Amino acid sequence: MLSLSTRVGLNTSRTALFRPALIRGIKTIPQPPGYIVGTVNDAYIPPKPHKLEGSLHWTSERIVSIGLVPLVLAPFITGTSTVIDSSMSALLLYHCYAGFQACIIDYIPARVYGAYHSYAMYLLTFGTGVAAYGVYEIESKEGGFAGLLSKVWKA
Amino acid sequence: MLARSGLGLLRKPATGAMFGASRLAVSRMIVARSVSTVKASHEQEQEILIAQRKNRPQSPHLTIYKPQLTAILSTFHRLTGVAMAGSFYALTCGLAASSILGLPFDGASLVSAFAALPVAIKVFAKALMAYPFAYHFANGIRHLVWDFGKELTIPGVYRTGYIVLGFTAAVGSYLAFF
Repeated sequence: MLSLSTRVGLNTSRTALFRPALIRGIKTIPQPPGYIVGTVNDAYIPPKPHKLEGSLHWTSERIVSIGLVPLVLAPFITGTSTVIDSSMSALLLYHCYAGFQACIIDYIPARVYGAYHSYAMYLLTFGTGVAAYGVYEIESKEGGFAGLLSKVWKA
Repeated sequence: MLARSGLGLLRKPATGAMFGASRLAVSRMIVARSVSTVKASHEQEQEILIAQRKNRPQSPHLTIYKPQLTAILSTFHRLTGVAMAGSFYALTCGLAASSILGLPFDGASLVSAFAALPVAIKVFAKALMAYPFAYHFANGIRHLVWDFGKELTIPGVYRTGYIVLGFTAAVGSYLAFF
């Protein structure tokens, strides 16, 4: 009886604790007991191959990360230029985009949140488009991201 | 499969409440003799299994673990990344919005607003940017080292972890205070 009551208590406190106030009003998809869908004898259905996901996605993220290292260091060591700063900002934007995507996949999974997962992805893509325009503004009018940050730093 | 269906459909004899220590052997014999199973279809077995899963305890969450360098550094990598990416998006989207909608916000106003802050707040704000940047940069390289298959042992993970912390302390302090 004791174990049963503590078990029940654990379950109820978990749902209260690990759901932020923002998403309490959102209807989530109820999960099956043990989070197990179907039976053990069901065949595995692999996701459809996608050009931009999987190992290619992983590799492109790494290439961008490796490329960012010297581009981020350049303003500290050799000084920056419009070309260096534009490349850095473009790669940084993709790096942020990929990072936010990973967060959406982890914290707003389609398994639980259904269509909200897609809405979050659309919002992120839209926001990235707006941010890309902002990057263009910074490069064309503000003298680059590193230049702007350096001016703030010395202000 | 037979045992599983037996768990849910076991029929216990009516003598259950009268167990005494001396009668244990006798009653065990009675139980053994009077146990009967019920035929269940695959669908019924599946229902029983799902009903059982509802009663299983959940495994404990993160809070039961002792905080370890591995998990903490991983958490901070994502936290600093999200914070800095959020700031980057806020700045770029803000500049884009001000350009499109004609709002009075540009780089110069940002610089003058920062210049008007008290020195202590300025240093605090710089530290708030410098340490996450130094940390995410160093830990990002640590991740790239792992991606090449290097330092993927427990000593390697701790060694590189302490190097990252040292780098963060040194470079973050240098950027924020000098």
